[in-house]
Amino acid sequence: MSELNPEVWVDEYGDYLFRYAYSRLRDSNAAEEVVQETFLAGVRYSEQFAGRGSEQGWLIGILKRKIIDYVRLRNKHNKAAPYEDEHDPSAQLFDEMGNWKPGAINWSPEPGQKIEMAELKDVVQDCLKTLPQGQADVFVLSVMEEMDSDDICRELGISPSNMWVRMHRARLGLAKCVGSKWHVDDEVKQNV
Amino acid sequence: MSDQRIAELISKSLRHEISPDESVILENLGEEDVESQKFAELSKLIQQSVQGDVAMNSPERETKKGLTKDAIARLKKSVSNAVREKLSLSDAGLIDSSISATPNTLDLPKTETSVEENTRQLMSRFQLIRRLGQGGLGNVWLARDEKLKRNVAIKELRPEALESPKAWQRFHREAEITGQLEHPNVVPLYQFGTNSKTGEPFYAMRFVGKRSLADAIVEFHDQVEAGQSCHLGLHRLLSVFLDICQAIAYAHSRGVVHRDLKPENVALDNFGQVIVLDWGLAKVMEDSELSMKMSNEFRMGDSTLLTQTMEGDVVGTPLYMAPEQAMGDLDKIDHKTDVYGLGAILFSILTGKAPHELSVSGVKKEIKEILKIIANAEAPSLRDFAKCAPAELEEICSRAMARKRHLRFESVQELADAVETWMAGQSSKKSEYDAMRMEGRELRAEMQSYVGNLERNARFAAGLPPIEQLMQVTTDEDLTVWRERLASIFRGMLQANPDYQNIVYSKVDGDKFSELVRVERHGGDSSSLRVVPKSRLRSDVTSEYMNSLIEQKPEEVLTSLVCDPMCQRDKNCKDTVGLLSGVPVYDSRTEDVFGVVMINCDVDKLLRRQMTRRTTADELVVACDIFHIMMHTKSGQISDETLSKRVADQAPHFLPAVEHLQTESEFIDTTNSDIYGARLWFIPNQHGIMYLLKR
Repeated sequence: MSELNPEVWVDEYGDYLFRYAYSRLRDSNAAEEVVQETFLAGVRYSEQFAGRGSEQGWLIGILKRKIIDYVRLRNKHNKAAPYEDEHDPSAQLFDEMGNWKPGAINWSPEPGQKIEMAELKDVVQDCLKTLPQGQADVFVLSVMEEMDSDDICRELGISPSNMWVRMHRARLGLAKCVGSKWHVDDEVKQNV
Repeated sequence: MSDQRIAELISKSLRHEISPDESVILENLGEEDVESQKFAELSKLIQQSVQGDVAMNSPERETKKGLTKDAIARLKKSVSNAVREKLSLSDAGLIDSSISATPNTLDLPKTETSVEENTRQLMSRFQLIRRLGQGGLGNVWLARDEKLKRNVAIKELRPEALESPKAWQRFHREAEITGQLEHPNVVPLYQFGTNSKTGEPFYAMRFVGKRSLADAIVEFHDQVEAGQSCHLGLHRLLSVFLDICQAIAYAHSRGVVHRDLKPENVALDNFGQVIVLDWGLAKVMEDSELSMKMSNEFRMGDSTLLTQTMEGDVVGTPLYMAPEQAMGDLDKIDHKTDVYGLGAILFSILTGKAPHELSVSGVKKEIKEILKIIANAEAPSLRDFAKCAPAELEEICSRAMARKRHLRFESVQELADAVETWMAGQSSKKSEYDAMRMEGRELRAEMQSYVGNLERNARFAAGLPPIEQLMQVTTDEDLTVWRERLASIFRGMLQANPDYQNIVYSKVDGDKFSELVRVERHGGDSSSLRVVPKSRLRSDVTSEYMNSLIEQKPEEVLTSLVCDPMCQRDKNCKDTVGLLSGVPVYDSRTEDVFGVVMINCDVDKLLRRQMTRRTTADELVVACDIFHIMMHTKSGQISDETLSKRVADQAPHFLPAVEHLQTESEFIDTTNSDIYGARLWFIPNQHGIMYLLKR
């Protein structure tokens, strides 16, 4: 049982929550906004926090909800462009017969190669920014937030097939992007 | 299977959502499927790198990509404001706060997951359906209570009001006051709570429909303007008004003054239920029972609250506002302010307009300017709106809305009693008026039937065989025989109809006439009849009436009120008016008019007989076309002084009815139920007789 002290929240958890939000939203203004809303909501219903579990965990719980709300709103406002029009990496990766173009994916780890996951994560984060927002959001909610497909469809107001198309395109796009970036980085490393 | 399809299976497999068959396909990818394997491995790695955000807390990364200094400052300020707001609410006793107070033991969500669960639970209890409207403080939604399977209305604070602690206070206060007032005409509150997702307050109350008194008033006045009978409509609105009075009188008994009475704040359902809403501005009187129960904060800060509402709700509220409210004279705001507000609602019922609508119309001013006008303007009058309302109601309305508070009704109950008394009187008055209306109609119907008989007799007389024989006689002997025969029939008709003065058969030649047969009643002794001897038969220039008569087609009767049937317009006629019915007689050989048959009836005698019947009317006037009085009774006594004089001079109160009866056959006094008029037409839109009755 503990008494909450919101005045120290910004110093204690600000960066942590911000990074969490930024990794999901890929936009620092948006991340700051949801962090602010999280703190305010935390103050408003502070009486619901009874001290079981960490303050940080409790705030993250609120933040997760705020992120989903934000993504939902953003998705709603960007509804003008139907997903079919969104960038489809298939054309760059497959030929007319639907077969891989040679060298479509530039890199994959060698057997036994040690991969620094944190570094890979940074590359993935950078690549996420290059994806159309609709695809990136589905990927974030599905993989990073580990949400159920049904929940994602409901929150974003999209159909399951729409969600799967977005998800697959996101994976293709990420594989292509990460492959080329990691490869280049690798070469750079070797050159250095 | 194409590579593209395999790639799709790889994507699905990463979420473990492929069938065993599809899984076999992926396991058996050959060496030639290099790209597919690369895609599978890379995608798996990518997923692992960010799944569940494993690297979030690694210390070396914490230094990266944090908040900027500016962002930190902004966040701190925002959190600190929120904390202050929360503490002020907590101090006011409005909410429990775990920030500075004792640890919370509520059985509410404790961890991040339970926050979400709770959100869903709370949200799933009430499913918002659509927004119903917007009040000064918040938005009202129609919602479905999933637990009790019923529709409810949910009021929540408007988003722009969320930031203001004052608005939170007022919102809680409104809920608390409403909850304390248990009365059939005050909206019942079901639940007060906070939305755990957003932390915003809301309360659930009975859903009473979207129709307000304002809508009913507009409908009523539309009907009045369309000329529909409005008595019932007014009666219904006044019944609603009495219900509102009951709710307010009850609130006053609990020490609560509503202070924001207007038709929009009264909801009506289709089953006659009247509900007073929006107690957001209500004031709790300091020495009242309720005051003891409520938190200190709620009894204070009135001026701020009032100004806030006025500023936030510029359009509606001030138009019904009492002068002391507009002046901001808060000490003077008490139950008499509500008496004014109720008077303003009554005003709106009677005129269809808000009382201050005229005084502030056309001015686009700041709220302060509008309030200044209302505070200083003369008391609005029904006459300013060119509306005629029952005089007693007008008086009640002015008294309720008197600028000087001591001139107003002492209590809401007193105001309600005044209206109720008027309504009760109105219904007995209404039944009296209905009785009088029936009498007026009966008088007219009696005259109509009398005239019908007269016309039938005229037609009958004109069709008698001696009439035609007299056209053809060649010898004096024949003439005498046929005259006697006709005279004896005429005599019989006069005997049978005591009001008939005479029956005449005249020959018309050019503009001259000469009587052939005339049987008349003796001037002095009405029971004595005489056949006018040949030497005394008249011949002269045809009268105006005769000229009209010979214009008629065969067997067409012309009935009219005429001074003297033989008299020319330019000659001095007698004052006495006769009711005359005549028929032209055509010569079958020449097919031209030969003469006329006329029956003259003593209308004065007829009317006097009608007047002797008992009547509920205090005054009764019978007038002819040129609005001259033919008969005038007051309190059952016939007044001869006004005979042949103009209605406008002798009984001007009948003038609106007389005007109306120029084109219509009936006048009904919908405003005061005092006067009734009925008109009988002899010749459409030309000649006739009207009965005017006054209670």
